[in-house]
Amino acid sequence: MNGKIVAIGIVLAVVITIGIFALVYYGTYNNLVGLEASVEEKWAQVQQELQRRYDLIPRVVNATRLYLGHEEEIFTEITALRSQWAAALQTGDAETINNATGELEDGLSRLIVVVESYPDLKASDVVIGLMSELEGTENRISTERMRYNEAVRDYNRSIKVFPANVWSAGWGFERKGYFEPSPGVENPPPVPSD
Amino acid sequence: MLKKSRRKVLFFSIIMVSLLVSSANAQVIDQYWVDEIEAHLLQVDVNTSAEIVVYIVQSLRGHGITDGDGNEISDIVQLGVHIFNEVPLPTPNGDVVGIGKTDLHNGVLVLVAMEEREWRIEVGYGLEGDITDVKAKFIGEDILVPKFQEGNYGEGLNNTVAALAEEIPVPNPTPNLPIRGRYFYENLNPPVADELPPWLVTLIFGGVGIAIIIIAIVIAYLVKTGKIKPEKRSTTWRGGGGWGGGRKPSGGARGGGGRSGGGGAKGKW
Repeated sequence: MNGKIVAIGIVLAVVITIGIFALVYYGTYNNLVGLEASVEEKWAQVQQELQRRYDLIPRVVNATRLYLGHEEEIFTEITALRSQWAAALQTGDAETINNATGELEDGLSRLIVVVESYPDLKASDVVIGLMSELEGTENRISTERMRYNEAVRDYNRSIKVFPANVWSAGWGFERKGYFEPSPGVENPPPVPSD
Repeated sequence: MLKKSRRKVLFFSIIMVSLLVSSANAQVIDQYWVDEIEAHLLQVDVNTSAEIVVYIVQSLRGHGITDGDGNEISDIVQLGVHIFNEVPLPTPNGDVVGIGKTDLHNGVLVLVAMEEREWRIEVGYGLEGDITDVKAKFIGEDILVPKFQEGNYGEGLNNTVAALAEEIPVPNPTPNLPIRGRYFYENLNPPVADELPPWLVTLIFGGVGIAIIIIAIVIAYLVKTGKIKPEKRSTTWRGGGGWGGGRKPSGGARGGGGRSGGGGAKGKW
């Protein structure tokens, strides 16, 4: 009689232990899946805003070009950098894309400096409108990049914490990189406020 | 009773202390305009469910709002995004994070930094189509800036929120969502001074500290001997007139929860 109870007790203990382990194991896995999905989602948001800027640039170029006939150089440059960025996207290589994005942002900074130095341009409603759209786009890009970095931070932290750190490599979860501005671009183009 | 000369000194020191205390909490907008704005925006919330919120900081440094890393935010755009999406704001139904209704994201934040003379309009995701960046820019430049340059801050804000409200579509039938209840916020933390040499700072703080202690002792003595009544301190938070007539919140449910992504416009006056 006694033996049976002990046996049942042991079996129960083993079952419960396995049960708890399974909960922790799958719970941790699901948590990482969720965090990784969040990172990908935020990255998609960044891409969306970059696309918005891509679409906006020709309108800015066309409107300001009318006033800045003899600054043609800067417009050719911006248009070229824009195409270069689209081409870089096609390659899918992270470094190429980041460099192209950085160079485009450099070019936009220079365009804004040029616009700033022409008072007539600044007084035009059309230009004010377009510059504020450009500023809005830059703000959106900054915000989405910041949120992306936050998601990456949460994810990177979670794969290092116990017990995830034991299993994460086996599951294929690797540390993700933060968005950092490419060398040469300290901040996105500073759009003037007036 | 006190001798005439002593009464004058007493009166004077009470005024000085009150000034000292209240100058740290200078209120920029007249209560009249605060009430107007609150009533106006309550109506907008009732009619459209959109939440337009006004937030005033004395300066971009000293407001005490920090980012995820604990650093105070000194860029007006970043500050706007943070206030809109992360900072709990008091309402009659408790603290709320997010401006505009959850899932509708129909919020607008009008943020002004008095010392730097900068304004920012941050538009929630749900209203970016109605209040485009360009519209926000022109509302700021054409409606807010002129009044602010005249010094009519309250009127400027009232007209600005009215112009913003006009761009928000009115759904039919009237929405039946929880009301936010509070729309005007003024952060009264004093601006942080520029860096002074440490010895000067110590001297000033020491001097002021001693002066305050002396005045406090004088007042305490006078209160104790029944010569004056204690002053009421002004609070750091100041808002509008509460409900101002209108719907009551649906039992505990509250507004807020909406998010923004950096859309809108900014400028200076």
